[in-house]
Amino acid sequence: MKSRFFRVASIVTAVIAIVTLVGFVPSQAQAPAASAARTADAAKSWTPPRTADGQPDIQGFYARNGIQGLAANAPDNPIDPGEKNPLSVSNRPDGLGPYPRVFGEGAVRGAPPAQRRALGIVDPPNKILPWRPGEDEKRREFLSKMNPAADLQHVELNSRCALPGLFVSYNPYQILQRPGSMVILSEYNHYTRVIHLDGRPHLGKNIRLFMGDSIGHWEGNTLVVDTTNFNKTAYSREIPYLSDALHTIERFTPVDAKTIDYEITVDDPKLFTKAWKSLVISPGPKKERRSWSSPAPKAVKRL
Amino acid sequence: MKVRLKRLLFGTSFIWIVWLAVIPAASQTPGARTPVSTARRTADGKPDLNGIWQALNTAAWDIQDHTGQSGVPPGQGVVEGNEIPYQPWAAAKKQENFANRMTADPTEANCYLPGVPRATYMPFPFEIIQTPTYVAISYEYAHALRPIALDGSPHPEGLPGTWMGDSRGRWEGNTLVVDVRNFNDQTWFDRAGNFHSDELHVVERYTSTDPDHIFYEATIEDPKVFTRPWKISMPLYRRVEKNAKLLEYECVFYLQEERFKNAPFKK
Repeated sequence: MKSRFFRVASIVTAVIAIVTLVGFVPSQAQAPAASAARTADAAKSWTPPRTADGQPDIQGFYARNGIQGLAANAPDNPIDPGEKNPLSVSNRPDGLGPYPRVFGEGAVRGAPPAQRRALGIVDPPNKILPWRPGEDEKRREFLSKMNPAADLQHVELNSRCALPGLFVSYNPYQILQRPGSMVILSEYNHYTRVIHLDGRPHLGKNIRLFMGDSIGHWEGNTLVVDTTNFNKTAYSREIPYLSDALHTIERFTPVDAKTIDYEITVDDPKLFTKAWKSLVISPGPKKERRSWSSPAPKAVKRL
Repeated sequence: MKVRLKRLLFGTSFIWIVWLAVIPAASQTPGARTPVSTARRTADGKPDLNGIWQALNTAAWDIQDHTGQSGVPPGQGVVEGNEIPYQPWAAAKKQENFANRMTADPTEANCYLPGVPRATYMPFPFEIIQTPTYVAISYEYAHALRPIALDGSPHPEGLPGTWMGDSRGRWEGNTLVVDVRNFNDQTWFDRAGNFHSDELHVVERYTSTDPDHIFYEATIEDPKVFTRPWKISMPLYRRVEKNAKLLEYECVFYLQEERFKNAPFKK
């Protein structure tokens, strides 16, 4: 009886010790690959790696996302009529530059045909923005007073160094992820978007922000970001101002190791009769470090 | 009874010795000379500095000891030894800056980015974003942003200096050490006119002491302006309110509205 007690006690102790030690070994979280059918599915719907807290890992550096042909009847940009300046860099003595397009400027040259899906406005299918009566005329008149600017209000917000409101990537951007949030670091205007994933509520309605207030959550491989609390300055090349009723829903989906789909639903009931959607693709992520102080020569050449 | 217990302990002693030795080593940095931080740890075993922090002192007005006056809260300085070792020409320049500070302060009067270390102790919160390969510090003031590579890469050469400089970081035990170079000369250290040249070199140390405090040190060297390196230090406090987040202080935009709203535009 004595010896059995000792044997049992020794075994129990050993089990406790081993279980605790195993807890410190980093776990390999992947299930073993299964059938051929599952492998084929994996090729179609790519499975990204995971961060330590289980988010699909989309960290890295992304090039500018650009598409052509946002809207079917987009007005001429007043500062760059004929769109001769796709890089939106000012070459004018007064320092004004063309209003950058939010949903792209220039084509994503070099993207393989397989990656080119319907880009630009995808809803409504006719690519005509659903302006409320009179609002399209107002914004075209506004654009016509921007060159030369009639007053401060008509100076392009890009030249005023205003934060753009809508997520744009004229310059490369970096995504970082840590437990509880996804973070976008933008080289353009050196801004940061911290997208909290902890289910917290939006800010109170009396706090208005240039970039709005973003709350996110993952649905499978798609990060869904809901943004409210905009002030009245969100802008793009074709749309010089959005209102403070703006509400956007963005969906970031890694579709393979080299591409992120970015779809944005724009809902601004003061300006539009219904929400509309735009889709762009963004090449990346690249893992290699690049200097923030200089443009990446490769990316400029490619785009 | 005693004999049974002794045998039990003896028989399982190997297991206990291994268990007690391995578990603490797996959770502490080996060889650390500073006390172990009680902060949470990230997945790669570093103190978790993620979150929103803020300094609680009056260094933004004057980094040295200063008496109160209208609009300026009094404060004990953050400069170790309370002396800034200016070269003689620079001491005179500082006095000139001080006299002109209401219009000459690049940050408070003109909304230029505050530079390093001033961004740390502006009376605004900032957020540390930390992953195993990258750290970034995002400041509420003018959305200043400092990406800090941890990959051992060198400062780039041959580029123009910037307001926030170029930051490269590494961990030493519980301390994040950040080396900052490639500044321009367009920032001050405070509202009192303390300044530097484009040869400024700052080494910051962010030492985690417990989950809600960082001890911050910055060694400043600039052979064009000072006779020797000098140092500031202060605690940083975690903003522990529920759902704390950075908002926006868009200084440039506010200034434009103030200065140009009713200005006539040339035809």
